[in-house]
Amino acid sequence: MPPPGLDNLKHIVVLMMENRSFDHMLGALKAKDARIDGLTGAETNPDTTGATAPVLPTAEFQSQLDPDPDHHFPAVNLQIFNGGAAPTMQGFVKSYFNQRQDVAHSQKIMYYFTPEKLPVLSTLATEFAVFNRWFSSIPGPTICNRAFAHYGTSFGKVAMDLFYVNEPFKSIYSRLIDATPKHTAKLYYYDQTSSTMEIVNLLQHQPELFGTYTDFLNACKKGQLPDYSFIEPNYNDHDGDDGEELASDQHPDHNIQAGESFIASIYQAIKNNADLWKSTALLVVYDEHGGIYDHVPPPACTPDGFVASANETGIGADFKFDRLGVRVPAILISPWIPKGTVVDGRVFEHASIPATVTDHFLGTYDQRSPREKKAETFLDLLTSPTQRNDCPDFEEG
Amino acid sequence: MAIIKIPAPPKSSMNRDRPVSGLLKSQILHLQEAEFRLPAKYQTNIYIHSIRTEGDAGEYIREVTQAIHAAHASRLRVAKRKPAPIFEIAAAAAKPRKTKAKPPTAKKKRKSKPRARASE
Repeated sequence: MPPPGLDNLKHIVVLMMENRSFDHMLGALKAKDARIDGLTGAETNPDTTGATAPVLPTAEFQSQLDPDPDHHFPAVNLQIFNGGAAPTMQGFVKSYFNQRQDVAHSQKIMYYFTPEKLPVLSTLATEFAVFNRWFSSIPGPTICNRAFAHYGTSFGKVAMDLFYVNEPFKSIYSRLIDATPKHTAKLYYYDQTSSTMEIVNLLQHQPELFGTYTDFLNACKKGQLPDYSFIEPNYNDHDGDDGEELASDQHPDHNIQAGESFIASIYQAIKNNADLWKSTALLVVYDEHGGIYDHVPPPACTPDGFVASANETGIGADFKFDRLGVRVPAILISPWIPKGTVVDGRVFEHASIPATVTDHFLGTYDQRSPREKKAETFLDLLTSPTQRNDCPDFEEG
Repeated sequence: MAIIKIPAPPKSSMNRDRPVSGLLKSQILHLQEAEFRLPAKYQTNIYIHSIRTEGDAGEYIREVTQAIHAAHASRLRVAKRKPAPIFEIAAAAAKPRKTKAKPPTAKKKRKSKPRARASE
């Protein structure tokens, strides 16, 4: 018999934020809970003068990581391998130096947040399940990494140029709505001025799959949430119907606190509806590390069946999709998860998202990428025999 | 149950004039790809290389996103209005009637005005 949390589960919601590494956002939690694989404070990188740049708890909400740290394939390769053959995670400062040629500034890539500065993310990580080993799917930028969350593959792409999908693997949304019995799925972008960072295929061919953040809030209120929801934050500062809309994606150089409020609003929208709260699992995850320091070398993984050429990778060598990108924050939230769960000893990546959703709603489904077929799923973490009633609330103030 | 207070970001965080990031540039390129596939009347004709700030980017993104939705809605309306293909109509006409045929009745005489005879 499945645990009651899984038995009750009707909705899976994924919120994917932008460009922050695990150590940058959650690394300081190790001091509170040694099971969390964060920072000891002794981690360093060499700078371009040969001096040592340490990790420091001095990350700021905004105006610190400007220019945006490079996180395209060649830069991430330098960050991980530092010009050598082993993944030492010693090239972050050098990589950031390449952008501004400023030694002091390049060291800021090692800065991290203290839990007090991130009350939402830190609270969720310690109250529910935090993953010690959730990696971005590719050592590269946004679009190809997000593709893994939607399709379980990036169809051989390692950059932002994923314009078309003509491959046999359907998106998780198409799988669900085409199934018999039919399931429901929706991508919620913030509003039309922010729109989607999904590769253009879905918006172009299936715009009916999309809704806005307001639609999501209304669906939560009315208890009409689809089986599967994928939420995108606001990607740009703009004027909306209700006044100024601050970018909430946490992409450098956007304000981190706006993202904290956004995450809290998604959590609270679900929690405020008691029926929804007991039947929903919410995953908060970041698409990639954004060029920011993390100390855990990405592991090898099942090859994807695609190959990116040396020309596409920009490092003079092919990439067989046989290793993962840098580690990112990931937190699974449900009242059926025991407080303080730390997921260790298992490796997750963004292909774990369609893998989990497909397994839960559709069961056996063969037309998936090799990576997705091998990806770990995460609903087994809903192990609590009873529904918790001690979960926190967030309030603006 | 603990209530956690979340500090609001300062008003000064807002910056529509922030230069467009690499991420937004890519989003613009992707949306332009989609825009070029729309019927001409839905295309914005915005020159994307003139987009410099987040404010500019947002405007373009909104216009294209709205256009994609409008074009899709229009396609759906057309599909709904489209009459059934002729072969379907013919097939339907060939089907035997399920209801009993009514007994023949005398044809009603059509009242009509006498035609005016064309002048010869």
